[in-house]
Amino acid sequence: MGQWYKSGSPWIWLTSGAVSLSLIAVIGLLGLIAWRGLVYFWPSTIYQFDVTQPNGITEQVIGEIYERDSIPAQRLRDNGQVIAPDVEEVESILIKTGNREFVELDFRWILADTITKQQAHPDLVIFERNKNGNFYGYIDSVVVDGQLKTGDNATKLAALEQSLARVELLNEQADELQSGNINHINYQLEGLRLEQRRLELENKLTPAVLADIEQQRTELGNEYLVHEKRLFELRAETKRDKVQVRDMRGEIVELSLSSILAVHLPNQMGIFAKIGHWLSAMASFVVDDPREANTEGGVFPAIFGTIFMVLLMAVIVTPFGVVAAIYLHEYAKKGTVTKFIRIAVINLAGVPSVVYGVFGLGFFVYILGGSIDELFYPEASPSPVFGSPGVLWSALTLAILTLPVVIVSTEEGLSRIPISLRQGSLALGATQAETLWKVVIPMASPAIMTGLILAVARAAGEVAPLMLVGVVKMAPALPIDGNFPFIHVERKFMHLGFHIYDVGFQSPNVEAARPLVFASSFLLVTVIIGLNMTAIGIRNYLREKYRSLEH
Amino acid sequence: MINLEPLTNEQPRVDLANLSDADTAFAIENLDLYYGDKKALSDVSMRIPKGQVTAFIGPSGCGKSTLLRSLNRMNDLIDNCRIEGNILLEQQNIFDRHVDVATLRRKVGMVFQRPNPFPKSIYENVVYGLRLQGVKDRRRLDQAVEESLRGAALWDEVKDRLHDNALGLSGGQQQRLVIARAIAIEPEVLLLDEPTSALDPISTLVIEELITELKQKFTVVIVTHNMQQAARVSDNTAFMYMGELIEYNDTNTLFTTPSKKQTEDYITGRYG
Repeated sequence: MGQWYKSGSPWIWLTSGAVSLSLIAVIGLLGLIAWRGLVYFWPSTIYQFDVTQPNGITEQVIGEIYERDSIPAQRLRDNGQVIAPDVEEVESILIKTGNREFVELDFRWILADTITKQQAHPDLVIFERNKNGNFYGYIDSVVVDGQLKTGDNATKLAALEQSLARVELLNEQADELQSGNINHINYQLEGLRLEQRRLELENKLTPAVLADIEQQRTELGNEYLVHEKRLFELRAETKRDKVQVRDMRGEIVELSLSSILAVHLPNQMGIFAKIGHWLSAMASFVVDDPREANTEGGVFPAIFGTIFMVLLMAVIVTPFGVVAAIYLHEYAKKGTVTKFIRIAVINLAGVPSVVYGVFGLGFFVYILGGSIDELFYPEASPSPVFGSPGVLWSALTLAILTLPVVIVSTEEGLSRIPISLRQGSLALGATQAETLWKVVIPMASPAIMTGLILAVARAAGEVAPLMLVGVVKMAPALPIDGNFPFIHVERKFMHLGFHIYDVGFQSPNVEAARPLVFASSFLLVTVIIGLNMTAIGIRNYLREKYRSLEH
Repeated sequence: MINLEPLTNEQPRVDLANLSDADTAFAIENLDLYYGDKKALSDVSMRIPKGQVTAFIGPSGCGKSTLLRSLNRMNDLIDNCRIEGNILLEQQNIFDRHVDVATLRRKVGMVFQRPNPFPKSIYENVVYGLRLQGVKDRRRLDQAVEESLRGAALWDEVKDRLHDNALGLSGGQQQRLVIARAIAIEPEVLLLDEPTSALDPISTLVIEELITELKQKFTVVIVTHNMQQAARVSDNTAFMYMGELIEYNDTNTLFTTPSKKQTEDYITGRYG
């Protein structure tokens, strides 16, 4: 034993154990969120259950099995349910039944014993809708342009697919019109209003100018009416076809195709069809806009907002941090003051992030943004332009938050450059600034990238401060769009981290939202890893390029 | 036995004590240098002749490198270094306030103990100084690269890989590259601070031969802890001890008939 202790093995076991634990923690975490998140997109089988209550009434339930759980029998007895006395635990199944507007709850716990029949009928259909979630049932008939189409299931499906394709085309046109022309006219009208207000404030609003503005406004208004009329026509067109569905209550429900996004028959899908569906569901999660208070649809605006904000932050923090580090390391006298500043910078990294949020709100939004509004946007008053939370202020707040990381790692990189190289440059008649630009900074660039990697990793995961300085649950427009000046840094934005919080804790439908929490978490991790990998790739390239002298 | 045969043939002997201004590269006058409170050089006065190789020898810590680094003001980089006295380059005191230190270093090039090529291509290393001076003409740069690399006896070895990273060269090649880099900006004086101490014997020999070539064009000042090397390559030798210049004479005289006891003890290996 003593021999074993002396050999140093315990120490090796202890250290390697610590590494293994960390690895297990990381892999376990990633594995869990990846599994829970990705399974959500897999098309699960729909079952039709016949549930017989103890009082003899049989009820039909159609839905997907969501979760299984064991419930102590005693608890059910306490609730007044009749359970055989020798049973200790009862298996219970959570079923997602959909059809939200026709049933009380679209999730339902059913005791396994009460299910008398379970059947995966091949004709069971899922309708994905843009409102009220999924609908499950059997197609009864399809109404195409007022004509009722019945027959066998394949004929009805074919008719439905055809009509859906038409509706999709119409919807696309309508969306394009809305987000293109109509959005553009609205933006111009708002611009005109601000222009008029500005001239009014400057006392330059002569009747001639006013008449001109009025004329433009009328023209835009007329144009708007034309587009609006077309939009209403398109929207009305989409409502032409309908589908009649027999739901689990046995009733026929008429659904307008305008509300249906997609139709699937998961019970008929083979493995490849399922994989295809799974992939396309994931793709649409990434590229679609959210629906239904964020509990359905995709998260594209949140991904876009996260990446845009992080990149903006990187653009701000890098030059700022690098310049500060260069001053501290290259120019500042090595004395008490420098040491004090350095300690202060390092301590900044320990300040809780929400404090930065409060600072950002107080300083950037109210003071800086307020002053900008007063100076440059008096016509917009009382509604703020820069004086309200926005993506620029979020990026600035996070830039301050991550500044210490960039400064510290840049300084470390600067101090690792051999003094002989600086001397070599100086001996060739270079000034200190020339040496910095031509030798020192290029060689320190891998270290700068390391700082940036750490900064990006921290900033992308930060949510608390953003809630104060720019993140919203639902942003009406992306920070980049087709309206001049194209990049709107004053706009509020959506963020994946906040999206997770919002869907997980603020959602009206917790069961429906839970898989989305995992899917969004997985996506957030993927985005952060992606950003990091890009930065690491750049750093490795730089490292190779400026490989330090080998002595 | 120490080989005292100089590598080159007959040298014009100069009178170091009464050197005319025209023949003087550096005139050092009563130089004192302090690192903080510690006196590193005390009352050094000497004239370094143009177009010759002058060697500084002496035991470690005797101040020979410090003196060399004073010649192009590399000591400026050390925070608590204080200098009294004058060094005249072309009758102009290099410590004068009007003197631009970058211009001075362009005239007085320097090669360090360890090869320190930049992590750039061979070509970019050589043209570094020229680019600093704003030379953009591609033909002129190409020409300077070839001339300097030929001057540093490196051209034949690297002419096919001028755009490869300089760090891929061997130590001896790197040191010659650094010399090429220094002579590319056509300095008047070349300071060599123990240029072969990190090299193997063969590379050392190549560099030593190179030094005797270089003096055709430049004044060379070399610091070495290797007495054979001083004897082989230099025309004049200064022996320093404890921050003082003990003896300064033409190399032959200093090594064969030293006038001071300390010099004799050192060159015969009794201490140091």
